[in-house]
Amino acid sequence: MRDMDRRTFLLSTGRWLVIAGLAPTLSGCARALRWSESQGRAAGDDTSANPSPATSDTGGSTTETSAGPSTTAGSSTTTPGPSGSTTTSDVRFPDLAVFRGDSPDLNVRAALAKLGGMERFVKRGAKVVVKPNVLTGRPPEYATTTNPVVIATIIEMCLEAGADDVTVLDSPTSSPRSAFQTSGLTQAINEAGGRLKYLSNRDFERVDIPGGQAITSWPLVAQALEADTLINVPIGKTHGMAGLTLAMKNLMGIMGDSRGQIHTDFARKITDVNTVVKPHLVILDAYRILVRNGPTGGNLDDVQMPKTVVAGTSQVSIDAYGTTIMGWKPADLPSLVEAASRGLGEADLSKLAIFEGTA
Amino acid sequence: MPPPVRSAARPRSLHRYRRQFQIVFLLLFLGLLTLTFWPLGTIFLGGFLLADPLLAINSVANGVIRWELLLAIPVLISPLFIGRAFCGYVCPMGFMVELFGPRKERHPGPVSRRILRRVPLFTLVTVFFLILFGSAVFLVFDPLSLFTRTATTLVYPAVDRGLRLAGDALYLAPPLRDGVDSVTGVLTGRLVFANGLTYTLQLVMLATFVGILAVSWWERRLWCRHLCPLGALLGLVGRAAVCGRVVDERACSSCEACTAACPMDAVRDGGVSTDCSRCQLGLECADACSRGAIRWGRRPRKQYEFDPSRRALLKASGLAFVGGFFLFTGLGRIQRNVRLIRPPGARMELDFLSTCARCGQCLKVCPTNVIQPAVFDAGIEGFFTPQMDFRRAYCDWNCNECGKVCPTQAIRELSLEQKRLKVIGRAYIDRNTCIPWAENRDCLVCQELCPTPTKAIVFRSEAVEQPTGTAGTGSGSGQTATVKLPFVVPELCIGCGICEFNCPVANEAAIRVRSTEQTGLLSR
Repeated sequence: MRDMDRRTFLLSTGRWLVIAGLAPTLSGCARALRWSESQGRAAGDDTSANPSPATSDTGGSTTETSAGPSTTAGSSTTTPGPSGSTTTSDVRFPDLAVFRGDSPDLNVRAALAKLGGMERFVKRGAKVVVKPNVLTGRPPEYATTTNPVVIATIIEMCLEAGADDVTVLDSPTSSPRSAFQTSGLTQAINEAGGRLKYLSNRDFERVDIPGGQAITSWPLVAQALEADTLINVPIGKTHGMAGLTLAMKNLMGIMGDSRGQIHTDFARKITDVNTVVKPHLVILDAYRILVRNGPTGGNLDDVQMPKTVVAGTSQVSIDAYGTTIMGWKPADLPSLVEAASRGLGEADLSKLAIFEGTA
Repeated sequence: MPPPVRSAARPRSLHRYRRQFQIVFLLLFLGLLTLTFWPLGTIFLGGFLLADPLLAINSVANGVIRWELLLAIPVLISPLFIGRAFCGYVCPMGFMVELFGPRKERHPGPVSRRILRRVPLFTLVTVFFLILFGSAVFLVFDPLSLFTRTATTLVYPAVDRGLRLAGDALYLAPPLRDGVDSVTGVLTGRLVFANGLTYTLQLVMLATFVGILAVSWWERRLWCRHLCPLGALLGLVGRAAVCGRVVDERACSSCEACTAACPMDAVRDGGVSTDCSRCQLGLECADACSRGAIRWGRRPRKQYEFDPSRRALLKASGLAFVGGFFLFTGLGRIQRNVRLIRPPGARMELDFLSTCARCGQCLKVCPTNVIQPAVFDAGIEGFFTPQMDFRRAYCDWNCNECGKVCPTQAIRELSLEQKRLKVIGRAYIDRNTCIPWAENRDCLVCQELCPTPTKAIVFRSEAVEQPTGTAGTGSGSGQTATVKLPFVVPELCIGCGICEFNCPVANEAAIRVRSTEQTGLLSR
């Protein structure tokens, strides 16, 4: 037994308290550090430091595309469309590939085959980010989240194409672990060989939106922007405020900060975000869709089963086709109208090369 | 820590490994607590709290009977045979008090002891009356509850922040990012939380804990000796001890080495007698005895300095009665406190206050951090009972864990289906601050996130005339605009609070969940 006088006692107690207080203090320092760093980035020299995966050259809203790794094989040959037509219009492939069939994975494979195979989008050794819609945790039958089978198929195809790493990420509005697990995605991702990533503050980086009309910068997931291939995999759902949630709105999942603010003046704000984030591949999961009580759902009566998948390279064109699946018209969706009017993509279905088939 | 000089007797005695016992039990305790996260598997968590006789007695007195409470029986009767070994070998709070306390008596001799030795019995009288009055407020000082609560509110937030800090730091080196992501993936929702764990009353917890450690400076292990209510209860049983510390009086030279060595103030009569309500069978006395006269055996010679007279007991009872009577005078106010929302499955307020152990396990298991210790919303008697803070988080649709971990069933276990129908409050829209109502601009975050299968928030599209000079951004333009105005459907709202949490209106949300159980107290 060690004897201790008052001094030693106080010292040892103090030492423990200091150790206990150290972690929070250091963490506070790190926050400050992180803050200054992201400020530097945001106010910094150029937007090319945030390599936006600009697959296509839009009508002038994205100023620099040089830093973004040239990823889509087809797009390297295309010239920027003079105005409205901004899709990666490789003549060999249709703008949209639509497949219907009883098995979601075959639909996806058929659609991708029509678009030139996953190899067109995913190079050997590529780092791929897949962005499903994982709003909250519900089993797949409720059509609240992107179908796990679709996600698993996409992961497998990326790996078959030689991808180095396939990361699936989203920021659910409920606790992330329960959301991914309940929706069946955790298991699907793990079994397919993908990597599930829970987002934390350090993953977000404030990105300038040069052509922004309602927002001029926003914290976005850096990894999604820096990925060699970004694949957006929304699910079709109704949405009280926005009308429908399809591909364009699905990008809210890589937005940080207080996303609730996006809801006011939504059409312009989500269009602003879509000017800087351009997924290389968009696959709309409409195997099951949610037609009422969206986007959270929870009632099997509100689920319909078009058993469809729509794949393409333009968010706007996908959304335009998506509205028809949901029983809407492209002109009914304010965000789509806004994006089309700004030349982000072709929303006029009659001007698109659409391949429809059954798998 | 075996002492340097020791008699050759009893080489196999377990008491030499007392410190090892304490470490193992502490690790077990913290390990189980650390594993208390969503989703709970089949691991039997909270075993320590279920085995706590003080909690068990309070539960039984309030009609909470469950078979797990049988665990408390061996602990309760153990002092008959092994003294308060629970305190010396198992209790993590006792371990902390011992670890951080001085090793030697600072003020030898009975300076303050006379009065302090009376405390345990008075504590028990108070506890008795509090149970009679249906208050479990004394469980704030139950050592296991206190330790759980302290660890929950202080250790895990620190671990959370520390790990996120480490992750942030390592993330600066790109090659390490994959590794950081993998570790984050494993720990998220378990030890690391997206929004960061925070609790109210953290400083109060720290002060209480440090205070308990600090009184040891006045008298060694003063908390364990005289103050701890669980120790008092076990000590009461210990008075009837069949076995305990036995001294061979023929061998004893009355050197009083044992008196000085005892950390629990349990040696009496110059060494030959034992205060069996305090002896924890650490047998420091035996180690200190140069003649090897002390051992564990049958029929210890007992002596208590303080045997309360009837008058003293009556006095104490009177005090406790009056105290208990006035403890609940705040109830009228709590009854109408619409901000006090308990976790789903919680009993009616009066029952809740009389059963909640204030242990904080529900705080620990909550995946969103919405459960917070109440400060004054539940009155003084409800200090540190769990309360929902919907501006900090929301009740997760897929989670029903708080009822599973509650050791006293103050929060009853609900199945997920039951929990999703359990109404804990309802949302009210403040039209003065709600963006669509007050500013003619679309928002509807609350409606979007409402998790009930048929949404409990609906909206009506309405053409509104914009006042000149404002720029409403409904789908219209110019002087009129179409705005989607939200309404709450009271029959569908369960009060999960995700609307209040996500409301983009700063500070006080424009949609707020308020309690619906204003008459709950009276209709128990």
